[in-house]
Amino acid sequence: MAKATTKATTNDNVKSRSSDAGTPDSPNIITDQGDETIHYSDDPRDIGWVRENVPCQASCPADTNIPGYIRMIMEERHGRSYEINRDANVLPGVLGRICSRPCEDSCRHGWPGNGEPVGICNLKRAAADHKHTSHRISESLYTPTGKKIAIVGAGPAGVAAAHDLSILGHDVTIFEREEKPGGMLQFGIPEFRLPRDILDLELHNALRLGVELKTGVNIGSGMGDTRVSGLLRDFDAVLLATGCMAATPLPLKNSKKGDDPSRDFRDVEYGLDFLLELHRGEKKRVGRRVAVVGAGFTALDCARMARRLGAEEVTIHLRTAEEYIPVSKEEIFETKREGVRIKGLRTPVGIVADKMGRLTGVEFAQNRLGGWRANGRRQAIPIDGSEFVEPCDTLIIAIGQITVNDFIDVKVDLDRWSNVAIGDNGMTSVKGLFAAGDYVSGASTAIEAIGHGHEIALNLDGWLMGGVRRKQVVQVEKVDKPLRDRAFDFIERQHMPTANLDERFKSLEVEAETGMDHDLAKEEAKRCYLCDHKYSIDVDGCIYCRACIEVAPRNCIKLVQGVEINENGTYGELEEASEWNKVGAIWIDNNQCIRCGACFMVCPTRCISITRNQLVTRDL
Amino acid sequence: MVQPKHHVIIGSGITGTQAAITLRERDPKSRITIITMSTLLFYNRYDLPDVFRGRTDWQSFLVYPPSFYEELNIKLRRGSRVVNVDSTRKEITLGHKETIRYDTLLVSSGGRGYLPEELVDFRSLMHNFATFEAAMNVKKILPENGKVIMLGGDMLGLDLARNLIQCGYTVTVITGEHTFWPHTVEGNERKTFMKALESMKVETFDGDKAEGIASIEEGKKGKPARKIIFKDDTVLEGDVVMPFFGLAPAVEFMIGSDADIERGLLVNPELRTTNEHIFAAGDVCQIWDKKDKSYKFFYGWKNVRAMGEVAAKNMTGDNTAFVTTQDEKLRLDKKGQINSPFWEYD
Repeated sequence: MAKATTKATTNDNVKSRSSDAGTPDSPNIITDQGDETIHYSDDPRDIGWVRENVPCQASCPADTNIPGYIRMIMEERHGRSYEINRDANVLPGVLGRICSRPCEDSCRHGWPGNGEPVGICNLKRAAADHKHTSHRISESLYTPTGKKIAIVGAGPAGVAAAHDLSILGHDVTIFEREEKPGGMLQFGIPEFRLPRDILDLELHNALRLGVELKTGVNIGSGMGDTRVSGLLRDFDAVLLATGCMAATPLPLKNSKKGDDPSRDFRDVEYGLDFLLELHRGEKKRVGRRVAVVGAGFTALDCARMARRLGAEEVTIHLRTAEEYIPVSKEEIFETKREGVRIKGLRTPVGIVADKMGRLTGVEFAQNRLGGWRANGRRQAIPIDGSEFVEPCDTLIIAIGQITVNDFIDVKVDLDRWSNVAIGDNGMTSVKGLFAAGDYVSGASTAIEAIGHGHEIALNLDGWLMGGVRRKQVVQVEKVDKPLRDRAFDFIERQHMPTANLDERFKSLEVEAETGMDHDLAKEEAKRCYLCDHKYSIDVDGCIYCRACIEVAPRNCIKLVQGVEINENGTYGELEEASEWNKVGAIWIDNNQCIRCGACFMVCPTRCISITRNQLVTRDL
Repeated sequence: MVQPKHHVIIGSGITGTQAAITLRERDPKSRITIITMSTLLFYNRYDLPDVFRGRTDWQSFLVYPPSFYEELNIKLRRGSRVVNVDSTRKEITLGHKETIRYDTLLVSSGGRGYLPEELVDFRSLMHNFATFEAAMNVKKILPENGKVIMLGGDMLGLDLARNLIQCGYTVTVITGEHTFWPHTVEGNERKTFMKALESMKVETFDGDKAEGIASIEEGKKGKPARKIIFKDDTVLEGDVVMPFFGLAPAVEFMIGSDADIERGLLVNPELRTTNEHIFAAGDVCQIWDKKDKSYKFFYGWKNVRAMGEVAAKNMTGDNTAFVTTQDEKLRLDKKGQINSPFWEYD
């Protein structure tokens, strides 16, 4: 973040910058008629405050209002919680099971010294599980526009975009190659992690507002295929959301471009194909001793599936180590619990087969860890002369997925990774042809695909309608008193209940995680700091009694000389005052604040106020 | 004036204690702080089976009296859990939010008993033997001549088993891949050692043959307190169930510290981690073996004490490589009884 260009050094400056969006003279305030406790602001300082202070929401690719939905679970309003989720992500029950949880990595409760992050994903699922069986879904429908949009691919990005575009009044048609919608959710994730009844229900809810779903339609340039050029002619806009549907080939020593070990050796298979074929209904078999190479959810899914298919010894081989793979700790634990071993610091360099061509092992090189890559992952560097062989009779390669572009019959610019290049609004180099999700970014996660589909839908709507129709603002709402007890800070993270191992292995469909009950979910919800709550001190009312500083559980209330202001208007570093005559204000450092409310309760002059600051989308 | 260096050691076992002694010898003016979760001063965990012989006074287990630490000016922070290491600020955070700055840090937090993930649900029905308090607890609940069911049977467990048998208890070891850990014993050699176990009056039960453990339950009233049900429906009863599946390095507080981790902290032969100010020694680290071109654990009293000494030397400017002097092989003594270098200490 850019550092300060301005510095507030007086009481007045500090006061004016801590005055929230509620000041009547602010030019950016929109006040709702009849409700003086709620204001809407598009002031960059307010938007910046939410971005900085609600780290879970800021790290959610779909921008989910996480403190908002968790607070509803605390109040046992599961339906409302579900709806808050659904505003950002049309598949809450699905993502509550399979999300990669970037929010939990950034949760303030997980910061050093604060304990473990809140089980945000488990709570998302709890909202979906415990909403009323006849729960009423809310949709804000717009007047029909008469515009027609074609979407290619019914994966998470395509479905999210289709939903949003349909409620914005457009006529949407999805073209899907498979016989069912869902993309990787339907065909790439095992049922023991994502029951298909949940997926199908939420997909149906997402698409039932007039989206026409055409399955079994191949988009391409072959005989009988539907062509992209044709879609561009027949529709006002086309959105490509075909994901990454090809496996990344495994580079082995002495291999040449085009070599494919899955073709050259029996019992060597790509993880993507393994799962796709299984979920298309094919019977899959594995050997007694299975090796899986790869470090993502697909690798773990393949390993766990192999155990269910009867493999006795299943080992996942990592280039780096468990600590550095992009999979949640819970998922790793459950995988190990099912008898899968995980071994680190090894790169596959060769395949060992007998004279009959049957796989007998995989040759690895020992690695050492290198630096960090630009994508936040660790590098692994093979060590010369350290090769060794691990015996196995099935090898599943799950090292990633790549996009395929050969289905497009119009010339589209690609980026250096051979993904389609798009502009800021999501449009490709072809007018009216947009792209979203993994098809643009390369292999990512379901929540990233949904978030991107959501974002591109708004842009596409803006392009079609000649301007953006909705805008994000901050809803600032006065809160009368702290909603948390100090005791909540000492609640340990509640763990997701799971099916016992015998039960899990009875069929491929038994869900491993069984969901939190009401009480467990409520207990976990209490742990959320509600970071969208902003505590401010009105320095005019403060008598500098220091009572708030005395009760603060952390170094969160500070005597400051000045506050740096970032270029976007948000607050930067606090300049703490070491001498009394230099104190400009007493300041709540919201970055350190755990919203315990102790300062509010003890303040004798009631000069501490609380507001709830939530990002909402408003019509322009 | 140059401030004396602050050497902080996490862990007060033999590795950490040896490191502190060596540090004091080599850097007399430095500040030395040992942080430990233990509420007791350093004691030898190999002595813990003695509780079954009536040695129940905690003071008798202490290797050094409190005055030893005072004389060496070593500050010992007992009952303190490290939750984070910030290598950028060279700062440790304790569970109660206190922060401690260091100049050099030695992580010698050791290993804790590994419990296979499939047995985690039954943790509350098992008893560990890792601390004096845990040992006393087992002694308290184990009836005279009672029966212990030992899962896994690593060398720590087998040491306890032979002691329990000498004290009149019965021990059944549920054998599996962790039996004899950290030794790797296979084929005919394994058969020989299994026979030796029987000659030591240790009962064995092949857990793999019984398809593994399905569940552990509380025993009915009037029956032994625990019941192990195997997947082939075999049931074993005992008064206490104790897991012994080897050690897992205690490194969770080092995540994000800039020191590389695979299973343990990865160190070079000089016991330096990937952060120049952080060293690791003992059961918590994997040491680069140039010959084998892999990272290896080195267990056993002699090894981990030597590591403490090497780390301390290198924390004070030396560049000594750790070289194991311990024979790694499991063997039989003249009486045909199992003997492990892992059991040797002084």
